[in-house]
Amino acid sequence: MLTRSLKIGIVCPYSWDTPGGVQNHIRDLAEFLIAAGHDVSVLAPAIDETLLPEYVVSAGKPISIPYNGAVARVLFGPVAFARVRQWISQGDFDLLHLHEPAIPSISLLACWAADGPMVGTFHAAAKRQKIIFAIGPILEPAIEKLSARIAVSEAARLTLTDHLDTDAVIIPNGIYASRYAHGKKQSKWQGNTIGFIGRFEEPRKGLSVLVDALPIIARFAPDIKVFVAGPGDSTDVEKSIDPQLRHRFEFLGKISEEDKADFMASVSLYVAPNTGGESFGIILAEALAGGACVVASDIPAFDDLLGHGEFGALFASEDSTDLAKVIIDLLRDENKRQKLSEAGKSRGQSFDWTVVAEQIYSVYEMSIVGSEKVRLASDTRSWNRFLSKDDK
Amino acid sequence: MLNWFAATFILLIALWYLSFTATRLDRLHHRVETSWANLDVLLQKRAAVALEIAHSDIADPASSMLLTGAAYQARDADIKSRSQAESGLSGALGLLLEDSQHLATAADNALLTELSALTDKIRVAIAIHTDAVSRTQMVRAKFVVKAFRLAGTAPLPVTYEFESDVL
Repeated sequence: MLTRSLKIGIVCPYSWDTPGGVQNHIRDLAEFLIAAGHDVSVLAPAIDETLLPEYVVSAGKPISIPYNGAVARVLFGPVAFARVRQWISQGDFDLLHLHEPAIPSISLLACWAADGPMVGTFHAAAKRQKIIFAIGPILEPAIEKLSARIAVSEAARLTLTDHLDTDAVIIPNGIYASRYAHGKKQSKWQGNTIGFIGRFEEPRKGLSVLVDALPIIARFAPDIKVFVAGPGDSTDVEKSIDPQLRHRFEFLGKISEEDKADFMASVSLYVAPNTGGESFGIILAEALAGGACVVASDIPAFDDLLGHGEFGALFASEDSTDLAKVIIDLLRDENKRQKLSEAGKSRGQSFDWTVVAEQIYSVYEMSIVGSEKVRLASDTRSWNRFLSKDDK
Repeated sequence: MLNWFAATFILLIALWYLSFTATRLDRLHHRVETSWANLDVLLQKRAAVALEIAHSDIADPASSMLLTGAAYQARDADIKSRSQAESGLSGALGLLLEDSQHLATAADNALLTELSALTDKIRVAIAIHTDAVSRTQMVRAKFVVKAFRLAGTAPLPVTYEFESDVL
């Protein structure tokens, strides 16, 4: 894969110290590239600058803004802009990889400030947002500078074509599939069990859909058990559960990566009832790689990831009756479960970093032409000179 | 006095906008050129691999002849016939791959994997190229660009027909 060692600059829009899909993706990608012999520098906002890994450069403290049904910790403003420009001019990069450059963040600032080989990855899948009409004319010339665009899923690509009228190559998020491939079956999670992993307090993760489906499921499978793993305070959720069924639920808290592999291998069904706002579903990819039989809502991202039902069962999103039906069906049919999890396991392999990073790298190669390097854009260079005088 | 200030201000903004759009357009033209250069290299490589396949045991004599012809055509085509030649090569390769998958030996398999890796790359390169072209066309359709001839003498970029049929 390695033809020559590159100096790659990656920009992460969200705060490095808050957990999130984009951050994980960037961390794994950066570490994979470093292991492959490249020189990688990641620019990211950070709350606590002392805890950063060696390859991360802090861009300052982030601010919280509501975005896409969640709170995003991002950073922008003149000080951040100055930092971004400094990072670019000192980095001497062969290529910049900007993540989520269409939201107000340091990724967008970097896109503005730089000229040369740039790749952008779009993660979000959102419904058409009015605000884009207002800032579209400002955004377009910036996004246009990217030599190649990557969308993490069909849903993310549609969001992009919808909002900004530009196309993208689809490259899925990566996972370390081998970490999940050899999970041991643990008897405490076996039997008629359902697994759920995620920040269950967030409504869009859809735990309530599963909670509503349980009375029906319990009628057909009285020994059903639901294991909920993930960070958060479970008292509120537990209160919302019918007292007679409360003991069917067990909250495990945040579990380690090894436990996750065992968890996926042990539970009869892994359920992802997310109601939306999901653009890829990394946890589903991990569940597939771990050999779980997956049941997921039919939101576009999951529908796509599960090959329209080929690698896992789908139910109508937010419809707990349908969810109950699908679950009962599968619990009764061990053969079908076996088949789905086998198909899913090989599907999970296609998200392994060795495959995904190779695809990303070939996009890098196509963006780098000749020995042209990333430099500050001419339209911001004079502005930069003016500001750096100010700094002194 | 105030009117003069306002007029100068508006004029300055207009000039800045013109220069900004010209830079933007220049950048887009550059993108079209580089993305085409990329695609061109990959297509040449594909023609070379196709020739190798034609000379290997994968291809029976008839498809070998077909493939050799198509590969040479794609290699030597000029701008006008390039699209047709590339489509022809895609078609010839497609025909061959359809029924050769299961009877290939290990050595031939290496060639086929190379071809499929190349095909994936070509698909990406095509997406990048068509996107660059359509963006450029969009900006060039703007009134300001036409009225002030900001594109200069650069020809309007076009996509090739072969880019739309999936390999």
